[in-house]
Amino acid sequence: MSRQASGLRAWALQRISAAYLGLYLIYMLGHLSFNAPESFEAWRTYVADPGVSIGMLLFVVALLIHAWVGIRDVLIDYVHPIMARVTLLSLFAIGFVGCGLWFAKAIFLASVAA
Amino acid sequence: MKFFVYRYNPDVDTAPHMQEYDVEVTRGMMLRDALMEIKRQDESFAFRHSCGEGVCGSDAVNANGKNMLGCTTPVVELKEPVNVRPLPGRPVIRDLVVDMSQFYQQYRAVKPYLIHKDPLPEQEILQSPEDRDKLDGLYECIMCGCCSTSCPSFWWNPDKFHGPQALLQAWRFLADSRDQATEERLDDLEGPYKLFRCHTIMNCVESCPKSLNPTKAIGKIKELMLKHSI
Repeated sequence: MSRQASGLRAWALQRISAAYLGLYLIYMLGHLSFNAPESFEAWRTYVADPGVSIGMLLFVVALLIHAWVGIRDVLIDYVHPIMARVTLLSLFAIGFVGCGLWFAKAIFLASVAA
Repeated sequence: MKFFVYRYNPDVDTAPHMQEYDVEVTRGMMLRDALMEIKRQDESFAFRHSCGEGVCGSDAVNANGKNMLGCTTPVVELKEPVNVRPLPGRPVIRDLVVDMSQFYQQYRAVKPYLIHKDPLPEQEILQSPEDRDKLDGLYECIMCGCCSTSCPSFWWNPDKFHGPQALLQAWRFLADSRDQATEERLDDLEGPYKLFRCHTIMNCVESCPKSLNPTKAIGKIKELMLKHSI
């Protein structure tokens, strides 16, 4: 058992999530530029499509993983007192999980309403 | 030519200060020559230098905000007034002389020597010209410290992050066809600090007086690590 935080895995996850984020953002910007929904209802129907909602959920998961590795790197670089680092890491972890759940709820509600 | 040189003698001074010197520029004058001229004007000034031709790596300094070798930098290429400071992030012993112990510790930590497990052959271990070519751009490092002391990741964690110089050498031995400790070397580099504090800032590439590319070497290590893990 290794007592260390991960190095290779964190780095690989950050790279992979970056690739998904980049491709998804290009797709989303393209979609919204050429095929923007007319109304909130149309937007909700669009999001309720299983392909779209899964794609969005994956986007949020990738975003949160990417952000987690990034913020962990910043805290490891700059915050050296161990208790301060643990506190900040915990706050960010809780915040990120909260963001993820909130987003999942929004997508779920859109699917239910549609 | 006007020079502002960082002066600090911990035995006498409470705080460091920049001192002004005027140096008459001669043809072909290098920064090291200018520092020697300053030393002639003011004997109390201390800096390291030896070979004078970019081989020993002793006279790395920070001039106008960039790390460079005094002996290979023509003064005419520097903007006046020239601000000369010690290598950033290192404890100052006196004036431009800094304590490089941590830098050498990190170098030692990557086991910068061939590890060969098979019984050694009678003669030298042979290597194809292609395999030998893989060491170009790696073995030329003179350990002046310009790269590691310009790396923000090394500034923040010099005790845990190997730094670009040591990682370039780690790759030099990983890339060597005669070395047989690839797995151990890769295992030693795992964790968030030793290798993965590198955020490809690339100050190392910019400052290397030998035009080597530690960032590329670090990328190769990560690639090899990934290959060996899946």
